[in-house]
Amino acid sequence: MGFEVFLDKFESFVGVNFWTMIFAWCNLIILYFVLRKLLFKPVKKMIDSRQEEIDGMYYAAQKDKDDAEVMKKEYTEKLKVANEESEQILKNAQRKAQLREEEILKEANVKAARTLERAREEVELEKKRAVNEVKDSVSDLAISIASKVIERDINREEHEKLIDEFISSMGEENDTEK
Amino acid sequence: MDISISGPKVYFAIHTPWFSINITQTTFTLLFVSLAVIITAYFLTRKLDKRKPKGLQIVVEKAVGMLYNLVESTMGKHNIRFAPYIGTLFISSVCCTLIGMTGLFRSATADLSVTLAWALATTAIVWYSKIKNFGLKGFLKGFTEPVVVMTPMNIVSEIAQPLSMAFRHFGNVAGGSVLTTLIYAALSLLSHAVFSWLPEAIAACMPPIFTAGLPAVMSIYFDLFSGFVQAFVFSLLTMIYIGEANPPPLEEKNESKKEEKSN
Repeated sequence: MGFEVFLDKFESFVGVNFWTMIFAWCNLIILYFVLRKLLFKPVKKMIDSRQEEIDGMYYAAQKDKDDAEVMKKEYTEKLKVANEESEQILKNAQRKAQLREEEILKEANVKAARTLERAREEVELEKKRAVNEVKDSVSDLAISIASKVIERDINREEHEKLIDEFISSMGEENDTEK
Repeated sequence: MDISISGPKVYFAIHTPWFSINITQTTFTLLFVSLAVIITAYFLTRKLDKRKPKGLQIVVEKAVGMLYNLVESTMGKHNIRFAPYIGTLFISSVCCTLIGMTGLFRSATADLSVTLAWALATTAIVWYSKIKNFGLKGFLKGFTEPVVVMTPMNIVSEIAQPLSMAFRHFGNVAGGSVLTTLIYAALSLLSHAVFSWLPEAIAACMPPIFTAGLPAVMSIYFDLFSGFVQAFVFSLLTMIYIGEANPPPLEEKNESKKEEKSN
């Protein structure tokens, strides 16, 4: 076992030193394991996990978007149905109101007609009564005239005069009545 | 003026009764690079923020993501487990090449031993994968394809594979450094020639002014650009070879499809 230090010794320019090769291999292997553990694997893992996270986010966002679209569709549908329903209700109410209106009008018409009828009947009755009264008074008159005639001795002229008188008085009476 | 182009300096040797170990510049470079990379990696990944990455974390994540994408597109999704190895190889290669630019260390990849070691490591993985996937018989039978006559050729190409990889990487980096050295020498000679009209005492003191500028530009190409390209090529070849040895699990897929259909 010896140890020798050289001050001015060079290897050949194109030559192979087996021990240098061994060193190179050792370095390569050590560097490989260290760099794999220290550099490549953690960085690659980080890139992959980030990619995964981004993919997951995109996926979630897409899913949310799809869900929202479905919901939107659903709500639009619902809104449409609600609109239709409200329209229906309004229409129904309108129709009912119209029916009611017509009914009321009809009723009012009927009532008015009835009132008119009654009034007419009353008028008729009144008329009849008036006629009857007139008839009564005429008969009274006739009787009173007759009694007067009987009280007096009546001659032809007197008779006629009486009737004229009477009629004229009646006319006066009528006039005054009017 | 003499220019010496030599291999890595040998600092000391440990002699044992059976063999002697030369500890060279490359050994120190490798050690330093490994330590520096591990420490950097430790500090870079100490605080990882999932929600709000900032600063260097973004760069690190981008780089790691690119690595995994490249591995997936070159070797297929089933071979993604090799990504850390490819990344380690790439980082090692780049750092070991670029550290030569500091002037404090000699590029480790300018030593054939290192590139050959890496290439042989790739070959070892390829062979292991082939034996695991096709069995020893299938692995050996692969040499006789497409016809038995091709066997020697196949064996030669199998040996040539790591050799060509190693020499390509080594040659580019070492050649770059040789070129840089030569250009430096030429430029300082030119400077000397320009100052030769001055009295000798003064000329000796003048700095070789021409060495500022052009070597920097050359260095950007030969060290920086070439360093990255060679590291990339080396990693890409490794990916292709390992990917070939680990074909996608076609049969399993077909079976699972059939099962799905029958279900």
